Amino acid sequence: MIRFLKYMKGYLRVRVWGFSPERFMNLCSNKGILLWDIVREGDIYYMSITLKGFWELRPIVKKTGTRVAILERYGLPFFLPRLLKRKTFVAGLILAIAFWLLSSLFIWDIRLSGNYQITDDVFQSFLRENQVRIGMRQDMLDIQELEKQIRRQFPQITWASARLEGVRLLIDIKENDAPITIEKPDTDPGTDLVAEYAGRVVSIVVRSGVPKVAGDDIVEKGAVLVEGRVPVYNEDTTLREYQYVDADADILLEHTAEFTASLPLNHIEKRYTGREKSSHYIKLGDRSWALPENRPFLVYDSVIRETRPLMLERLSLPAFWGTVTYREYQNTEYKYTEEEAKAHLNQKLMDFLTELEEKGVQIIEKNVRIEKGGDAWVLTGQFLVQEPVGKSAPTERIEVGKTEEDE
Amino acid sequence: MRRNSDRIQRNEERKEALVDSLRLPKDICMGAIKVTMTGNREAWIENYRGILEYTENLILLQGRTCQICFEGTRLSIDYYTNEDMKISGCISCVKYL
Repeated sequence: MIRFLKYMKGYLRVRVWGFSPERFMNLCSNKGILLWDIVREGDIYYMSITLKGFWELRPIVKKTGTRVAILERYGLPFFLPRLLKRKTFVAGLILAIAFWLLSSLFIWDIRLSGNYQITDDVFQSFLRENQVRIGMRQDMLDIQELEKQIRRQFPQITWASARLEGVRLLIDIKENDAPITIEKPDTDPGTDLVAEYAGRVVSIVVRSGVPKVAGDDIVEKGAVLVEGRVPVYNEDTTLREYQYVDADADILLEHTAEFTASLPLNHIEKRYTGREKSSHYIKLGDRSWALPENRPFLVYDSVIRETRPLMLERLSLPAFWGTVTYREYQNTEYKYTEEEAKAHLNQKLMDFLTELEEKGVQIIEKNVRIEKGGDAWVLTGQFLVQEPVGKSAPTERIEVGKTEEDE
Repeated sequence: MRRNSDRIQRNEERKEALVDSLRLPKDICMGAIKVTMTGNREAWIENYRGILEYTENLILLQGRTCQICFEGTRLSIDYYTNEDMKISGCISCVKYL
């Protein structure tokens, strides 16, 4: 620290000789001039002295009859004038600092984290609507208002925090993990569970409501499985009233499901000719510059490969460069072989089966055929499945008084 | 003459007793030279008036009440201000004159 201060203020290495150097040193210390690294070699003293002290030496030198010669100069006051002579360098330094200060007033990157359901694109367009852009002034951004706006716009976001870290805007959000419950309209309860398919009831476990079917019963499509109308009886087993509930039960229904898929015999396939052309472009923010390019081929597709320079990425500048490669192709007709067709159709079947499994459907039996019919390959499958069923439907309401009157 | 020096000494003793009883720092009140040494390589000196002589083998300092002499080889002054100074080198002898 002391060395740094000495360097900032500047100091000299001097040689002192003459009549009485000791007196010279005493006078220096009395005047408050700091001396250090005093070494004697023969009759000559070498010492370091501050620049400020050196200016006050003249009367002391006269009084003591010594002579002082400068050996070397150290420190910023000597270094700076030499530096300032290089005008372009100084201008560059000042410009660089100015640019650095100026660019730190803007936002150069926006990072979003914690989003699962909301895609980045959706969020970016939301930010654009709210005038939050890359390259905006930092003082134009009202972080609290932005957080409020995020919560207002996306009800599934339970927590949102935005903060500025240097030139980077970091947005952390937390989405509601539990599925959004659609609030039921506040009506009187009273729903039945109705069969979605015709089939055989395998098992039935009722949580609320009155079961209308039992295990091994054959039901039609649309038949009421569990009724939401629960009768309440008097002591003499006559009906007193009905209580309406939302029927709830686990019902497993065995039924046959069908699946068909077809694949045309012929299809159009891209065949690349191998001829390629590429063009380059530079992108800054939303604007891009590319060399004007005529239509390269008659039929082509293009592959865009965009890179962001790593060093600039760390500096978070929205600068990219990229290459567009145009690939020529010809449309050719192609006929599937039997193996290819089977593989394609089997893939479709597997997709269907996994979809069923995800719904909790158990497959008991399956019967699949692949045939060549007309101008397509056709896959037909019949499956015996056990599937949880039960679709809510409003219960028919019966007034107790009326039934009694009817009776 | 003899009586005079006796009186000075008595005064000194009284002053010392007073400073002692008030628990004041002695180096300031008595004007004594304060020397701090680490081994025989370095010495810090406070409360002196000035340098009387400085060569490679001898440094003679003037204090308020006495003189102090450092003898040795390759003696140099690391820094020198009004308050304190530092001597480094190989010190072989410290004498009060």
